Amino acid sequence: MSTIFFRRQWIVPYLFLAPALLGTIVFKLYPIFLGFWESLIYTSFGGGIEKRTFVWFENYQYLFDDPLFWQSVKITSILTVIINPLQISISLGLALLLMRRTRYIRIIRSLYLLPIGIALPIATIIWGLMLDPYQGLINGFLGIFSIPPQPFLVSENQALWSIMAIATWKGVAFWMLFLLAGLEDIPTQFYEAAQIDGANPFQKFRYITLPLLRRTILFVFVADTAANFVLMVPMIILTKGGPMQSTNVLVFEAYRSGFYYQDWGRSLSIITILTVITLIVIGLQLLFLGESRSERKI
Amino acid sequence: MTTHLNKNWSIYLWYIIIIIGLIITVTPFWWGLAGSFKDNTTIFSEVNPFSLKALIPGHSLEAYIAIFENNFGRAIFNTLLVSILSVIGGVLINSLAGFAFAQFRFKGDNIIFGFVLLSFAVPADAIAIPLFKMIRQIGWFDSYYALIIPMLSNGIIIFLFRQFFLGIPKDLIDASRVDGLSWFGVYWKICMPLSKPVILGASLLLFVFQWESFLWPLIAAPSPELNLIQVALARFSTEFAVLWNQQFAASTIAGFLPLIFIYMFQKQFVSALTGVEQK
Repeated sequence: MSTIFFRRQWIVPYLFLAPALLGTIVFKLYPIFLGFWESLIYTSFGGGIEKRTFVWFENYQYLFDDPLFWQSVKITSILTVIINPLQISISLGLALLLMRRTRYIRIIRSLYLLPIGIALPIATIIWGLMLDPYQGLINGFLGIFSIPPQPFLVSENQALWSIMAIATWKGVAFWMLFLLAGLEDIPTQFYEAAQIDGANPFQKFRYITLPLLRRTILFVFVADTAANFVLMVPMIILTKGGPMQSTNVLVFEAYRSGFYYQDWGRSLSIITILTVITLIVIGLQLLFLGESRSERKI
Repeated sequence: MTTHLNKNWSIYLWYIIIIIGLIITVTPFWWGLAGSFKDNTTIFSEVNPFSLKALIPGHSLEAYIAIFENNFGRAIFNTLLVSILSVIGGVLINSLAGFAFAQFRFKGDNIIFGFVLLSFAVPADAIAIPLFKMIRQIGWFDSYYALIIPMLSNGIIIFLFRQFFLGIPKDLIDASRVDGLSWFGVYWKICMPLSKPVILGASLLLFVFQWESFLWPLIAAPSPELNLIQVALARFSTEFAVLWNQQFAASTIAGFLPLIFIYMFQKQFVSALTGVEQK
């Protein structure tokens, strides 16, 4: 018995690996391919009967001819270009401010990290009420300074900005956590040496903090971009892509095509495009970060 | 003298920025908490015109009683059930995989490891729609299976366990092997009992992940009796759009448990999330 077992030793690691690997392949990788495959199929519902036709890239062709799709591309681009630098600069700035050794710093940090513990749907709902045009706290507050009530989420011009504000409130705390951990990892001797050499705070930031934090910042930048690319909880709960398509990002357009209109070919074409872009972004990350993983301590 | 003055200025500026930031961070949360103990007329009257009373908690439990009459208890039960099963299953299968990556050199190990990490870099929400199609094909649509099983294997947690197991002295493992312990015995009797900090961190991640999940349970299990807490909350906010106190009360309950856990085990949670040991 034991000799047979001994001879079959090579199988042992694969047995340990099997459940998690199976889960990864079936539930994380296969759906990506399934999504692509289904994006090549057109489903019609003639006379209540579902009919599936393989149409090659026709769904994509329809998509590219559709102004609604390009509107979504535009909204997604605006969101991506603004929200990521915004979140990263605020979280980096805050992380630097919170490195000050002072009394109460632990409590202050904990309070700043509060939004991590608040799920996005909760944050969305509370902020939706905060931004209510008639009874919201923000307009109540603005009223003190005699500023007229703002429409926020119900206005074509302000809705996307309001959603960016909500996502930033939630996101900044999360990304700051990584930046704080990275900052804590920089040995204090470097700063002490710079102090002796008479470096000013800007020089310390430029020549010590920034180079040593580079990998963390890159990681945060890529992960944040990938996360905001599929940001749609505020749209599902608050705006439904409106008003006037002004918050209809690509991923929400995919959700709506599928779940509102049962147009799965269109929905999964968009998802496939999004997945390809995400994979490119992640590929760039691996290219830039390279060996960083082995350097991270546990 | 000038430098002294300069230094003071920078401290004042620091405090001003920090306090403004704190107000922005904490106010929405606090306003919701305070409002959950009030009736709706009071909430509206304190905001318009604005009064600081809006931030002082009331003492009415009416909203909490009302949400439980609307079956919010079922959502709490579902979420607890799904979270706990996900923690048990997730810790088990991911630690097994972490053990394989840490203890064995085998054909394709680096490729499989890179593959696992890469597959988890794709945000879960991006594959939710194709995963939904697949779940419907295999008949798990609108079931507990759909809520739990696809969420078990997790690259971050495999990575955490692998890193921890790499730190266990090789001598200890060799000695137990010589003593006749099987590989599973080494994993179960030697490595797992040593891994309490990682198990705690991984459990927290898995628990919070399920407790806060929204998009997947929304599309995979839409029946009200299968609603998880965030989905039930979103449903409330549409169905009872004018009853703000009930939305506040539901949000407070949905937000409370993860916050308690995260603050109780802040160190382990942050370590697990960032992969950096906290000092």
